[in-house]
Parts: sequence; C-alpha cells; structure tokens
Amino acid sequence: MGMLDGFRDKDFLEQITLLNDIAGRRDLAALPALRELFDRPTGDTSVDYMVVGALNAVLGEHEGEAVRGLASESTAYRTLCIRVAGEYAFESAAGRLTEMAETETDTDRLIEILAALSKIRPEDGAAVFRCFLGHEDSMLAALAMEMSGVYGDQQAVPFLKAAVEATDAALTYDQCDITTWKAIDALAAMGTPETVGFLAANVHHMNPTARRLITDALVRLGEAALPFLEPHYLKGDVDQRILACNIAGFIGSRKGADALVRAFDAGAFTDPNSRYAAFEALGRIGTLKGLVCLVDGLSEDDELILMAVVTGLERHAAPGVLKTILETLAKGDKKSWRIARAIIASRALRLFQDLYKDAAVGDMLMDCLRASQDQEVLDAFAGRLGEIATDRARADAASLPRAKAATRRALAADDSKSMLAMYRSILTDLGFEPLLAANGQEAYALVEAGEFVDVVITDMNMPIMDGMELAGKLRGTLGYEDVPILMVTTESEGSQREMAVKVGVTGFITKPFKPDALKDKVLELVGGAPA
Amino acid sequence: MDVELAKPFVKAAMDVLGTMAFITPRAGRPFVKKNSIAIGDVTGLVGLTGEGNKRGSVSISFQKNCAIAMVKNMLGDDIQDIVQDVKDAVGEITNMISGQARAGLAEKGLVLQGSTPTVIMGDNHSITHIAKSPIMAIPFETDAGGFTIEFCFE
Repeated sequence: MGMLDGFRDKDFLEQITLLNDIAGRRDLAALPALRELFDRPTGDTSVDYMVVGALNAVLGEHEGEAVRGLASESTAYRTLCIRVAGEYAFESAAGRLTEMAETETDTDRLIEILAALSKIRPEDGAAVFRCFLGHEDSMLAALAMEMSGVYGDQQAVPFLKAAVEATDAALTYDQCDITTWKAIDALAAMGTPETVGFLAANVHHMNPTARRLITDALVRLGEAALPFLEPHYLKGDVDQRILACNIAGFIGSRKGADALVRAFDAGAFTDPNSRYAAFEALGRIGTLKGLVCLVDGLSEDDELILMAVVTGLERHAAPGVLKTILETLAKGDKKSWRIARAIIASRALRLFQDLYKDAAVGDMLMDCLRASQDQEVLDAFAGRLGEIATDRARADAASLPRAKAATRRALAADDSKSMLAMYRSILTDLGFEPLLAANGQEAYALVEAGEFVDVVITDMNMPIMDGMELAGKLRGTLGYEDVPILMVTTESEGSQREMAVKVGVTGFITKPFKPDALKDKVLELVGGAPA
Repeated sequence: MDVELAKPFVKAAMDVLGTMAFITPRAGRPFVKKNSIAIGDVTGLVGLTGEGNKRGSVSISFQKNCAIAMVKNMLGDDIQDIVQDVKDAVGEITNMISGQARAGLAEKGLVLQGSTPTVIMGDNHSITHIAKSPIMAIPFETDAGGFTIEFCFE
C-alpha cells in the first residue's frame, strides 16, 4: 500500500502519525503492509504497539479478513485474530473457533479461543464449552461453567452440582475453589427449580466462602428464590433454618413474610437461635402479618430474641401496633420491664417517642434509661426528649446522669445489629468502652488503625471475614498476642471449638445466653471487675 | 470472566521473578476469597483500566522470607536498610510484572493502563482492591517462601 512505503525509514513522528491515521480510517488496503510490520517488528516498542493497534482497528472493521486470519500459520497473527473476533463478536468466526477448540491442546491457547467464543456467544455454543467442564486447569473449567450458566445448559448441571459439593481438604476455610464459585453463579443464572432448589439446599456449605457466595446468589435471585428456601424452615437442621431466614430477610420481599409466619405457626422455630433469625427476618421485611407475629414476640423472655423483636417493631411501627405495645407496657409486670429495657438498649427512638406520651409508661422507660452506662444511648434519648420539647420531657432529659467514664475497652464483632446493640449494653454496664464491628474485616480494620482493647468478643459466623480468621489475625498482630478472645457459638458449632482453640480463642459462650452469663464470662477473662 | 487477563500476569510473574530475582515459582490451585486481608507481609498493588469502563486491580503479596530472599538475590551484599530495600524491590518487581503482562496483552490487541504500584507493608495488612467483586487468588510456592497474586475486576 502506497502510504506505508518506506515506513521503516521514516522518522518516529511520521511513523506514529501514519499508523494513527490508518487506525482511524481502518483502511483495508493497509492490511498487507501492516501484516509485514507485525511479522517483522521495527524494534521500537512504541511503534510496534501502534502497529498492533492499527491492525486491530482494520481487522475489527473487516470481519472476513479477521476470520481468514484464524487459519494463518503465524501463531502471533492467529492469536491477534482470535482476540479481535472476540472483541468485535464476529459471528462468522464461531465455526472456525469451535473447530480450533476441539483440536487445540495447549491450555493458554485454549483460553484465548474459549474467551473469544464466550464473547461471540454463538447460538449453538453450549456444546463446545461443555467439553471443558471437568478440565484440570481450573481457570478453563471455571470459564466453561460460567458459559454453561449463560447458555442455560441443562446437561452441565451434574458437573456444576459436583463442583459445588466438592470440598478440598487442602484449602482452608477462608478460600474456595474458583470452579465452585462459578458453578454457584451458573446454577443461579439458570434459575430452574432444580438449580435454585439445589442452592437453597446447600446454604450451609462447609466452606464459609462458598456459604457466602450461595447466600449472595440467592439474595440476588430475590423473590424467585423464596419458594425453594421456605421448605427449609420446617425440614432443615438449625443452621439451615437460620440461614434460610437470613436470606429471606435480606431479600426483603413481602411474600417472604407470609411463609415465615406460617412456619412460626407450624412450630418451625422452637430453637432459640432459629427463632431469633426468624424474628430478625420479619423485622427486616415488614408486612402486617409479620408485625402481628413480632408483637406476639414481645412475650419472649430471652433478652436476645426480645432485642430482635423490638428492633423489627421500631422499623415498622404502625398505630395499631403501638397501641398494643402501650397496653403491654402499662401492665407494669416483669414482662413490661423486659420490653422497656430492650427498647432502651436497641435505641428504639420512634417507639420511645410514641410510648412516652403515656405518663406511667414514660416513667418506666426513663427508669430503664437512667440505668444505662452507655453515653451514646443516653445522648440519643436526650436528643429525642429535646425534640418532644414538653416541660416534662425537658425535665426528664435534665435528670439523665452522665455515664461513668469507661476504664477499659472491648471489641465486639457480629453481623446482627441487635446483637451488637446487646453487646453495647452489656459492655457499657461493665464499664467498658465498646468498639463494634459487623464482621471480622471491620473489626480488624479497627485494630490496624491502632485501637487497643482489653477483650475481644466475636461471633463465629460472619460475612467477609469470620471469627476464626479474625482470631488468627489478632494472634499474629503486635499487642494482641495475649488479649482474651471470647467466641460466641451456637450449640452445633461446638464441633469447631478445637480448631478455634488452635487458632487462639481463649474462651467460649453458647448462644442464646443470658446477659449476666456473658458479663460473668467477660469478667472472668479480664481478671475480675476493676479495682 | 477475565481468565484471559489473569494468565498473562501469571506468566509475567514467573518470568520476571525467574530472571530478576532468580526465583522459580510453582503455581498452586487458584481460589476465590471475599475478604481483603492480604495473605502475605508485603504487597505490591497496581490499578488497571481499559476501554469500555474496564476496571480492576492486581496485587502480589509476598511472605516475609520470600521478599527477603528476593532482595538478597537482586542486591547481593549491597543491602543498606532491609525494610526500605524490600519496599523498593517489591515495587520494582510489581512494576515489571505489570508492564510485561500488559505488553503481552497489548500484542493481542487488548490495551490496559496500569497505575504506578503502591507497596503496602506490615504483618496482616489489608489490600483495597478497586472493585467489589470476589477476588481470584493464585498461590505460589518457592524454595524461599510463598507469594499470592490476586485479581479483582469489575
């Protein structure tokens, strides 16, 4: 082509200007000369990259040439054409690429070919990817799995299920095979009763990262996932029930509430931990039926469950509900006082504002408030009293004490807001300044920022980074080698205690626990109350 | 899925460490993780951007002993301040790996811009990847300790 004649003798500026021009105009006539420059590079990397760029642009504009290039003897040119075919989704390249996938043995080459096919997405493409589902190279297999999800390839389902069920003893609990990851996403993408049902049945996967990935996938599916989660309220083991409730809560669809209420009525949630999870989920969703169930929950005598109930009511309080709560509190019995304490500890400001209108109930709430050693809680309610702005409210606000200054500090990690509010309340009562985190990573971020504490309380199962990992990281951190770590577990997680001790956990407490039991445990670990 | 992006970085890591630091890494099984706590003691991190809003980051996290062995191989006896030297070496190596990988991709027509590497040191530090997606990690073993390459793309 005339314009590239004598290219190699031109100066740098002329060369790049020419190449830029060709790339812009995508002139097919430049192709032979560009090929020559590609096969025998000038040696100046800037120029050579621009040659590739120009070639890319020309081929991108001329599908036929790119497809022809797939048969080239030059490996480098073939690779370029494969990439271009993918980038520009050239359908006519699919046939040739499929043939190449069938005969190619080099893994790196295969990845190029399959990556291009994955972008072209030919209609009959499922079959070629299916061949690689069990490939030993996990990246290749993962790509094949991802595409089987895109194609909705039913024949791939057994492989996908197997990849989810595979557990590798060599990998630790914070890692998960990429094939398992892609299989989970593909099964969710297919969205059939079989695949979604399978995911729902495997929510309590042995591997915490896989558990998290399955949870996320089901939450993304939303309402469509609910019919497959609901059977697990009644027939799953405790951990499955808890996770199924959590997912329904995160999905937040109103349809989810009906099934939870039905399951409650059928006696599905007798275990305190699944009960807690069910109330928490109802609290996240709302709906009238759910609220009625929550109001019934005010009769719970477990402080932890009561916190979840009150938190839920605070979110969705409606006039009818408020009236019932008022009547319950007005009775002034042990139950009323439990509820009042929960309202204060969970910072239920809306409920407080409404209930405060009644003089007797208002006094009851103020009594509970005055017992708090949590300055943040005291300030929050003082603020609300200020907004109410009646004489009585102002007098009550003025009567609030200042919390005693904390002498020690504690770090608490739990993915449940109600549990964190509970920890705040318990820890401030003991004279600890509480630092709270929603998962191990947030907790560790506080430590990395230079915070030091006298004791750490952590849940075992949390998203992103769980309690085991947190404990391990802390033990390897300067200053935290000996800090007491208390791990909160459900009964069934007890089997992992040995591993927890190895990782450096100092003590355990099973939930549900009575606040006093936690207080005793904490004091035991820090060597008693302050002098 | 961005397998086609991962492979060149793996290849580049093996090449660069072999030629510059005389280390022969053996790749282990890739895995996925969701937290951003580094699996190493010193990390080099580069941000990558490409056409069409393609964004991501790649990090290389070395265990202490591997990082030190790398520095000793590169500088010989000429080590003044081990902490600073490790930081410099990791930054250099990360830059070279990023450059070589991107060159390989450019030859195939995929152009990615790479940021200057950031080096983060300190036991159990965090790596803040650009995207919020799950992170794909590949562990490597060498005679002098291990390192892990992590990819996170939107």
